Amino acid sequence: MQSSAAARKMTPEGWLEPPPLPHHYDTAENHQAALRFGMWLFLGTEVLLFAGIFLGYFVFRTYFPEAFEQAGRHLSLFWGTSNTLLLLTSSLTVAMAHYNAEHGKNRNAFWLLLVSILMGAGFLCIKGIEYHDKFVEGALPGRFFSFSEITAPGGPVFYVVYFFSTGLHALHVIVGMSLLTWVAIRCWRKEFSPQYYSPVENAGLYWHLVDLVWIFLYPLLYLV
Amino acid sequence: MASTVTTGGHAQDNAHKEWGPGKLFLNWCALIVLTFTTFGVSQLPMPVNYHLAAALCISVLKVTLVVLFFMHLWWSDGVNRIVFVTSFLFLGVLMFFVMADVGTRFTLSNSRIPPMPIVDQKVMPSGMPPGMSNVPQGTTAGPGPSSGEAGK
Repeated sequence: MQSSAAARKMTPEGWLEPPPLPHHYDTAENHQAALRFGMWLFLGTEVLLFAGIFLGYFVFRTYFPEAFEQAGRHLSLFWGTSNTLLLLTSSLTVAMAHYNAEHGKNRNAFWLLLVSILMGAGFLCIKGIEYHDKFVEGALPGRFFSFSEITAPGGPVFYVVYFFSTGLHALHVIVGMSLLTWVAIRCWRKEFSPQYYSPVENAGLYWHLVDLVWIFLYPLLYLV
Repeated sequence: MASTVTTGGHAQDNAHKEWGPGKLFLNWCALIVLTFTTFGVSQLPMPVNYHLAAALCISVLKVTLVVLFFMHLWWSDGVNRIVFVTSFLFLGVLMFFVMADVGTRFTLSNSRIPPMPIVDQKVMPSGMPPGMSNVPQGTTAGPGPSSGEAGK
């Protein structure tokens, strides 16, 4: 296991020695560039995963414009905006954590990651409140729909799009929080240094992607 | 081995010399301002298509800021930029052609949406939305938050 920190020594600067470089890389910089590139490739596929959902949104919006307008007005602007601010701020703290880890300030990075994880949890709680309201109202997808305030055709279709897009996004928030927890633990063990910080950077990139998806979902679902 | 590791670290420091908490914080401020801007714009009395266009423009701006500065693409290797820009390019291709199809198809055939199927009451005894089967078109634009403003 690469991260078995016990075998590695503490350097005078106050962080653990980087793990041994895999033999097929010439330098640590090569290694980090490869890890970063791999993450970007993965994020490219994530963009295409969400592309399908956004495409569904636009197609069904074209078919049922009135229902999408009515249903959008029934979402809570307050909770939606709060969640946007929460995610943007957590992106800031994650980027700060990356900066600190890269400069060997592992403890700072740990606290920043902890704050980010808590904001992610806050996001999920707010999402839970919103889902609960929808279940109570009967504003549900497909044949479970029984919300009398949406009279235009296509209400059930809007809630298919709503629950699948925000649901897939919430799943990504959960995965992102798990990744941040994993790197936060490693920050606490002072594993990161200017020579080795890729896990913080890549977990951060994933978290920023989650933020990025929400930046599109928020106006499309809540505002328009 | 130890010496190469150190060299790599220094090269990385040079490449990332320009980024720091100050710039990240400024970026965050810009994103918050844009969030309130998109919220404010959404309350203006405008046709819905203008709202959609404005919201998408502001979102694209916000996403660009996140990608360039929080995700460091501004300071990153060109190869990472190509990957991400390419994925958005293909997203654009997908969106453009599908929407071009969907947006023109029903206008030409003089019926905006396909007729809804007759729902069998035994299959769906309850919970059918009142609007699904038969609702007069054009009863939208209810008392939105902005209609009052528009009247003045």
